[in-house]
Amino acid sequence: MTALGRWLAPSHPAQLLLGLTIWSLWFVALYGGLSVACELAPPAPRQGALTGINTWLAVLTLATLALLAWLAWRGLCAGRETVGSARFIALVGAGLHLFSAAGVAFVGLPLVVLTPCL
Amino acid sequence: MSESMRTTPEVERLHSELSAVWGNPRGWRGVFSVVNHSTLGLRFMATGLVFFLLGGVLAMLIRTQLALPDQDFMPPEIYAQVTTMHGTVMMFLFAIPMLEGLAIYLIPKMIGARDLVCPRLTAFGYWCYLFGGIILFASLLLEMAPDSGWFMYTPLSSSEFAPGPGSDFWLLGITFVEISALSAGVELTVSILRTRAPGMALHRMPLFAWYILAMSLMIVVGFPPLILGSVLLELERAAGMPFFTVAGGGDPILWQHLFWLFGHPEVYIIFLPAAGIVSTLVPVFAGRPIIGYGWVVSAIVITGFISFGLWVHHMFTVGIPQLAQAFFSAASMLVAVPTAIQVFVWLATLWLGRPRMSLPMLWITGFLVIFVCGGLTGVMLALVPFNWQVHDTHFVVAHMHYVLVGGMFFPLLAGAYYWLPLVTGRMPSERLGRLGFWLTFLGFNLTFLIMHWTGLLGMPRRIYTYDSAMGWDLYNLISSIGGFMMAAGIAAVLVDLVVHGRYGRRAPHNPWGADTLEWSLAMPPPNYNFASLPRVESRHPLWENPTLGDEIARGEHARPGAAHGRRELLGSEALTGRVREVIHLPGNSLLPLFAALCLAVVCVGLLMRIYPLSLVGLAGAGVLLLRWSWENGGHSRAAPLGHNDPEDPPLHSRTADGPGRWTMGVALLADGAFFLALLFGWFYLWTVSPQWQMPDQSPLSLPLLLASGAALTLGTLWLERRVAALRRGHEAGLTLVLSAIAALGGLHVALLVAALLAAGLEPTATAHDATLLVGLAYLLVHGGLAAILIALQACRAGLGLVGARLPFEPGVVALLWRYQLGVFWILSAAIALLPRLTGAGS
Repeated sequence: MTALGRWLAPSHPAQLLLGLTIWSLWFVALYGGLSVACELAPPAPRQGALTGINTWLAVLTLATLALLAWLAWRGLCAGRETVGSARFIALVGAGLHLFSAAGVAFVGLPLVVLTPCL
Repeated sequence: MSESMRTTPEVERLHSELSAVWGNPRGWRGVFSVVNHSTLGLRFMATGLVFFLLGGVLAMLIRTQLALPDQDFMPPEIYAQVTTMHGTVMMFLFAIPMLEGLAIYLIPKMIGARDLVCPRLTAFGYWCYLFGGIILFASLLLEMAPDSGWFMYTPLSSSEFAPGPGSDFWLLGITFVEISALSAGVELTVSILRTRAPGMALHRMPLFAWYILAMSLMIVVGFPPLILGSVLLELERAAGMPFFTVAGGGDPILWQHLFWLFGHPEVYIIFLPAAGIVSTLVPVFAGRPIIGYGWVVSAIVITGFISFGLWVHHMFTVGIPQLAQAFFSAASMLVAVPTAIQVFVWLATLWLGRPRMSLPMLWITGFLVIFVCGGLTGVMLALVPFNWQVHDTHFVVAHMHYVLVGGMFFPLLAGAYYWLPLVTGRMPSERLGRLGFWLTFLGFNLTFLIMHWTGLLGMPRRIYTYDSAMGWDLYNLISSIGGFMMAAGIAAVLVDLVVHGRYGRRAPHNPWGADTLEWSLAMPPPNYNFASLPRVESRHPLWENPTLGDEIARGEHARPGAAHGRRELLGSEALTGRVREVIHLPGNSLLPLFAALCLAVVCVGLLMRIYPLSLVGLAGAGVLLLRWSWENGGHSRAAPLGHNDPEDPPLHSRTADGPGRWTMGVALLADGAFFLALLFGWFYLWTVSPQWQMPDQSPLSLPLLLASGAALTLGTLWLERRVAALRRGHEAGLTLVLSAIAALGGLHVALLVAALLAAGLEPTATAHDATLLVGLAYLLVHGGLAAILIALQACRAGLGLVGARLPFEPGVVALLWRYQLGVFWILSAAIALLPRLTGAGS
């Protein structure tokens, strides 16, 4: 197995950090993307939430959500098949991925209702 | 360990050997050269206690001033200094160092190690903390203390509105103290990951170690943005570089971002170790294992991450788009989830156990009540409209104290009462302790519960007096009475802590019936902690084997004694706890003290604007730190193994992945956080600053930058190749190759200097040029350091201190080269290439 493959295995300790790192990168992209987009091309306020900015950020949010959900499912399956520290890492990692997915959904929810750049 | 076990001559000899090797030197030299974690941990805590008392006196002055309307007990300028210093002292000189001290004292004992992995770094951190604290506090005695609030918002803290040296004291003193925090953060991280007892896999690690691991990593990532902010603001104040001045293309809001990027995680950096105390004590006093160990670990990790995504909720009133505010509002509510997980775990453990309401548990109960209330007002403050209403009022002050005093101070005192018998061998007074608790608990709530109302009635924070017509009189008077009641409670606790050492009842062994390894030691523990290093395959080693302490003291476990005269630790695998190597630790030394003294000279020189003095101090610190690094690995002062000594497990300097490499990796993580903050500052000013001035043509010469980068790339690739060969046992021509790589490093630096000189920057005219200068200076410092370190490696290879048998060190330096390669190309792209590609200035 390659070094990258080992790091991505569900029982590697990096799984304890991976989900929330993805959440953090998504969060930075969300806030940074919104800020830059509002500086460069702010949409008219009357458009409401149906703007290109909201749409692109929502697509990013859904993609991140799907990735995290898949990682959580993978960790859960691996946790059932392993023992000892590998099982601990896989299950805690799965829980952290799941929380990160919930965090993406919850924090991303305002994209549906709020006007950007106002 | 029971005293009766030290009876046989064999056991006596074992302990004498260890005492001779691990003992602290006597006399004045001993005071200044000691590196032992127990001694230094206690020093951290004692110094933190002194600063806490000073900060407490400032709090009493504030409450005296506010007790009645229209008071003139203090003039406004002194009041501003007192409030600023109260917050600064409590946050930077008490809370963080106190918890670090506790961790430094306890972690090796809990994970079955004899010391932390970098003992001289512990000493260096302590001296930096002490000198930084003294410099900062001296400003108050000189009546020139900072007066812009503990968060030093620009432009209030800038030269225009704070022309005196107060802000400089804050910026330089805090940066000095933060060196200490980073030192502790780095070495605690590596110690927890790499020096746990054999068999102590991650899932068997004490919860306290998980909390400290998270705290340490948060310090490593969270403190650098404030260090960068402090550097930039000091450059603006001292040299006129307009990073935060709108007219020069800067933006004062950038300071708020940098400060709160540090400031909000800081709250959790303080809370997490305190929660670690709670998670350690609750199972002991409930008499059963904690419910949901994995849930707690998850909650710790979640808190560590999410707390970095909340900083903007301190800035809801600065004009950020509503949608962005909604993101941060949601994230702020999200962080309540891991905290709630922990609260429910603690309650469930108490519910299913048989709780004993001993003195430490009383403080834990007080914590639960106060902290949960503080958490609820935190969720209220996460709501944007409510936040707007109470922004900068006493409501926020009350919330902050509920979270910080409830979340840190109460668990800290629970921990102090719990571990006191371990430190002194005596029990505290139950009666005095209970009196102290009730006075503190009632006094605290009287002060700060009432303060919520004062805030809701609109009383702003930091005003030095108020008119009676405002209707705040009674509330302020009650708060002041409560404040003095709380002070009386803390005085009772302090009396108890001081006198119990002499008059307290002798503590029985493991007096609370605890499960963790520190209670297997003698009380107080010897300098070497463990006479032999136990194998740990349970989360509750002392519940599983109550005689473990006696076995350890008899030398029945690994590496008993120290006939070889070396300080040894066992290095273990981060995940499984399997033994990988023997780690030799350096002994007592004056080098950390002298290096910290030189940095104090730098600090004082900058304060007094005597820059040649600062340069001398900097050069002195550099020489001393390099000397410190020289006495390592195969050096005779590091007491290396002889050729015939056993190599199973191998000595760390004869492996390719010893703890020094991990230390470098974690230190570079901190460096990376600093770099990312710098990059954020560049892009922030570029896109947001209202009067940003980008020149039509980038002043940086692309050919020179490309040539400099090519030399660096070539050097890094060559070094990586050579390190790989060394690990395979090929050492022919090593000195020559390392010298050539050092020359490439020198060329890289020289070309970078040429690019800087050719740019003709005017850093006092525009924030653009000032940012370029800081970015290039960052690359120059790292490039210069990389070149010097590899040149030293060439010298060491020539002396036989590095080679096929000792392949460790070049791999450590290679990490720095790899890092420099990454940041060089990223920064070059950001400051030289991207403006050209986007045509930003035209």
